[in-house]
Amino acid sequence: MTEEKTSGASNRPVVTIKLATTSDELMQCYMLRAAVFMGEQHCPYWEEFDGNDYTASHLMLYVDGEPAASMRVRWFASFAKLERAIILKRYRSYGLFIPFVDWARDFCRKKGYSKAYLHAQHRLWPIFERMGFRKVDDKVFHFSDHEYGAFVCDLAIDEKTMPTIFTDPMVLNRPEDRLEMPGILEDSMERGASNPHAEWTERRAN
Amino acid sequence: MSTIALSIEGETVTTKLAMRMEDSLQAFAVRAACFIGELDVPYSEEFDGHDFGATHIIAYVGDEPVGTLRVRWFQSFAMPERLAVIQRFRGHNIGNLLLERCRKLAESRGCNMLYAQALPADVKYWEKQGWRRLVAEEASSGDKRIVAMVRAVDPSKPLPEVEAPESVVLRREAQLDASGLPLGTASN
Repeated sequence: MTEEKTSGASNRPVVTIKLATTSDELMQCYMLRAAVFMGEQHCPYWEEFDGNDYTASHLMLYVDGEPAASMRVRWFASFAKLERAIILKRYRSYGLFIPFVDWARDFCRKKGYSKAYLHAQHRLWPIFERMGFRKVDDKVFHFSDHEYGAFVCDLAIDEKTMPTIFTDPMVLNRPEDRLEMPGILEDSMERGASNPHAEWTERRAN
Repeated sequence: MSTIALSIEGETVTTKLAMRMEDSLQAFAVRAACFIGELDVPYSEEFDGHDFGATHIIAYVGDEPVGTLRVRWFQSFAMPERLAVIQRFRGHNIGNLLLERCRKLAESRGCNMLYAQALPADVKYWEKQGWRRLVAEEASSGDKRIVAMVRAVDPSKPLPEVEAPESVVLRREAQLDASGLPLGTASN
């Protein structure tokens, strides 16, 4: 970032965090991970792209519209697992990590998860402890050349607003990072229910 | 063509054209590792909008994708670009393997000229590989940061007269017309 400042706030980079919801955004996520894990940390392709990308949610952080950081969240029954968190080298002095993890925790909390879990690289343990994570146990394990410990953080879920099977069905249909805002399927309700099913026989190719 | 390593540490080196989405992602991941991760190229410059009108060649060591080359097709030439090899696999001639695959592909399509944009520091290397400057050295000096190089696809056939004027082919990726092609290459 250039440090020249003419009118204060207007020169500050604009940081946006969102759930990756298009194939372009997913591609950006994968490419950032390739840049950091394969390019900088020399991780083999098949370890980085481990087969779990298509069962996960991916979070993207943009600085002035440019993809800058990403994180993967996998959903287990009783906890959400934060993983593959990276910030592109040129954005590492921006102080993005803590706000990004906070956003991810809040995202999990709003979905109704009471625990965020992660495997922290040894060098990052103090940061996660300061952020309210605690070690699950004393175990230290290693994979892809790094030492890890398991950490967990309790999330203050709001029983009144968290999604349950009794939540308004149309709320459950909303984009997951904007559960409080009407989604595109609510707009579709204007069209009414014409139940446009063709009979199976009509659908069959001749 | 210099000699090509066929195996590295017991693993076979192969090349293939990207045919499936996963193949393309492997090609893109190798480029992201090299250009974004190592060279700090911004994402939006690296993935410039030409990836879905191009052919991607991927090199593997065993099943690990380690190198890639993008080929764009023009009427009078094929343009290999975005050559990338993962750092720890460099020094095994994988770049040459990719360029040779590109040359053969161009040959099979009846194309007789390869055109590439090289950094001034790399020109000597390209010349050793049978490439030559598109324009004489004096003409391409100045503040231009890239040197246009050409090579006959079939070394036994003389290179045709170059039809594309320098002003067209030398343009950087950023300067595109509304159709997303380099200025002057669209016929309409």
